[in-house]
Amino acid sequence: MRVSDQQLFGSTTGNLQRTKERIVHAQEQIASQQRIAKPSDDPSIFGQVILDKSALADNEQWIRNIQFGTARVAVADQTLGQTQNLISRVRELAVQARSDTTSAQGRVTIAQEVRQLHRQLIQLANTEVAGHPVFAGTKTDAPPFVLGAGDSVSYQGNSESQSIAVGPNQTTQIVLPGDQVFTGPTTNIFDDLSNVLVALETNNGAGIEVGIGNLDRAIGQISLAQGQIGAIANRLDTAYGTSLVVSAAIQQALSDQTDTDLATALTELQLQETAYQATSQTFTRLFDSSLLKFLR
Amino acid sequence: MWHGCSDVSAERLDRRMGINSLVDIAKSALFTAQQAIAVTGHNIANVNTPGYSRQHVTMAENIPENGSPGQIGTGVHAESIRRSFDSFIEDQLLASRERAGEFTASSDALARLEPLFGDADNQGIGAGLNEFFGALQDVATNPSDLSARTVFLSKATALAGRFNQSAATLTAAQQSIDNQVGQTITDVNRLTSQIAGLNTKIADAESSGQQANDLRDERGVALADLAERIEISSIEDATGQLTVFAGRGHVLVDKERTYLLVGVPDLSNNGLLDVRYDAGAGPTTSLGPVIQSGRLKGLLDVRDQTIPSLRGSLDTLASELVTQVNLQHRLGFGLDGSTNQDFFAPTGTTASTIAVSLTNVRQIAASSTAVGVPGNNANALALAGLRSTDFVPFGNVTFQEYYSTIAGSFGSATQGVQRDLQAQEILHDQLTSQRGSISGVSMDEELANLLQYQRSFEAASRMIVVADEMFQSILSMKR
Repeated sequence: MRVSDQQLFGSTTGNLQRTKERIVHAQEQIASQQRIAKPSDDPSIFGQVILDKSALADNEQWIRNIQFGTARVAVADQTLGQTQNLISRVRELAVQARSDTTSAQGRVTIAQEVRQLHRQLIQLANTEVAGHPVFAGTKTDAPPFVLGAGDSVSYQGNSESQSIAVGPNQTTQIVLPGDQVFTGPTTNIFDDLSNVLVALETNNGAGIEVGIGNLDRAIGQISLAQGQIGAIANRLDTAYGTSLVVSAAIQQALSDQTDTDLATALTELQLQETAYQATSQTFTRLFDSSLLKFLR
Repeated sequence: MWHGCSDVSAERLDRRMGINSLVDIAKSALFTAQQAIAVTGHNIANVNTPGYSRQHVTMAENIPENGSPGQIGTGVHAESIRRSFDSFIEDQLLASRERAGEFTASSDALARLEPLFGDADNQGIGAGLNEFFGALQDVATNPSDLSARTVFLSKATALAGRFNQSAATLTAAQQSIDNQVGQTITDVNRLTSQIAGLNTKIADAESSGQQANDLRDERGVALADLAERIEISSIEDATGQLTVFAGRGHVLVDKERTYLLVGVPDLSNNGLLDVRYDAGAGPTTSLGPVIQSGRLKGLLDVRDQTIPSLRGSLDTLASELVTQVNLQHRLGFGLDGSTNQDFFAPTGTTASTIAVSLTNVRQIAASSTAVGVPGNNANALALAGLRSTDFVPFGNVTFQEYYSTIAGSFGSATQGVQRDLQAQEILHDQLTSQRGSISGVSMDEELANLLQYQRSFEAASRMIVVADEMFQSILSMKR
């Protein structure tokens, strides 16, 4: 074949151009650490990346939801523990007051402490997280338990519960409404306390006796709520673990799909640089061996 | 001839005339060598001229004279100066230019659209959807928290903004491509008029039996430039003039006459230019649908197909988002008890018009019941659930799945064109190399030719000296 100068120049420059393009591409991948930055880099993987990022966002959101829920549930759990202690203390006092050796005056003194504990219980039942009461159902704009005339306490929250998303099509209740914990379902604990108070102040031994029985039922009711809260905490914990694992797996997949594999990219860069040098050198050699050189 | 000098027969007079004819022969050799050197020089000079075809001199013997014992030669002449040229490869090169023009135009245009999908860097609409639904979940977990609501509203505004920005980018790209269409039409008309002018010059030059090599090269370059812009076919007539066709037999150049392409704003296509053919008389006809290749085809494809289809998909996405979010939002109640409120402006159902209409964060309808239960998040959960719901207009997939399909198919189209372009560039290089093999100038070859013709020239000069010496010898006999 005849070889013209144009051919030599043309094919060499064309090859150098393409090699340089590949060098730039490899270098971009190394610099950005991203193998896939735009849809045309790998269309099917790019589509998958969007879905993976969406799934990752979901999981991270669930983790966020669960962290928020767990904080509330932990406060509720802690409050229930304190409530249990408080009722046990009232029961202790009631048992002490039941004794025939306790005078009417002694019962009135005990009643004073019980009244304080009663007020303390209202505070506990009105516990808030970030300004929002924990035991108000969904009516979270005001303290749910309000002290009325005498020692009466009314529940002004509602019976609704709040759920949060914790997984794919999975929600978990994070709120125990106050009427399930303090004013029901077995007994109204505030009434139980105020009944004990009345019995103490009226020196009514039989009444105290009845009151102790009621307090036992109250303790059972709180235990039940503690069990429920514990179950919620467990569910949140499980979902949290799942989301963490899934999240890590997606991140790994995303990284596998889109991150530059340094070894591959560096090898490619080296390869293309070598090709570029070889082409440049042979190019110079070719033109060095022109007839023109020998005609001088 | 030298033997004639010693001949004493009746032919002596003729033999003497033979010295003159020796001078003539030498002269013809000198001229021819000179011409050959000039052509070689021309080749060397044009080694880098695009479209130049190497020329070579065809030499032929002069008509011999009758004589005894036989015909005697009378020297040499340059019969023709021809260019080395293979019309088959030239045709292939033209076709390759057409496709390269098409793929370059569409690949450039598509590459400029790729930043729309900045999702690898969390910049696209997909990332916007993630943030929107994430912030909505925050409202669901903490429905009475005003700051979560504020964040959600700003994420929703940002998402609408991403849609608006994408639509604006598409419109700007379409406008920019339209300007390129206009420019290409101007280029086409300039090139056809150049070809028509060269047609006349070539016919003039060749009518006297000349080969208009350089003019033909020049016309070849113009033709290739034209092919890069629009698919053409051409026929050469007996006088060497080209008739150039585009589209379906629409004559662009007929000998010295040109027919123009015109860009007419098409009101049914947002005022974008319709490429029309002006036959000189009667109404113009639209060429758009019949252009098969070339830059115009690449531009029109992206402008009239890729961009509208992308915009259509984004509009579907925006429209469904507005409809579904509003539908669910109207069912819920805000912190202030407001209900039946739209979240997005119900009139803005395209990517360019989508906008959040709710301004008061207390009116975000997270609750499923009326006023007074700020902790109720049932409606917020239902809204957040839209994220994983399949919708019919998307072909029963979710928002993100639909969006990923849009990005994926756009990516495939872009990648396809880029690969076509790469393949075309390699093919073009190969064809150019083949053309170079036939028509390109080889410096070595020309230098060798130069030496060869220079030697011929020297020998011819020597012949004149010899003839002169012969004259001197004869003249000196008289002394």
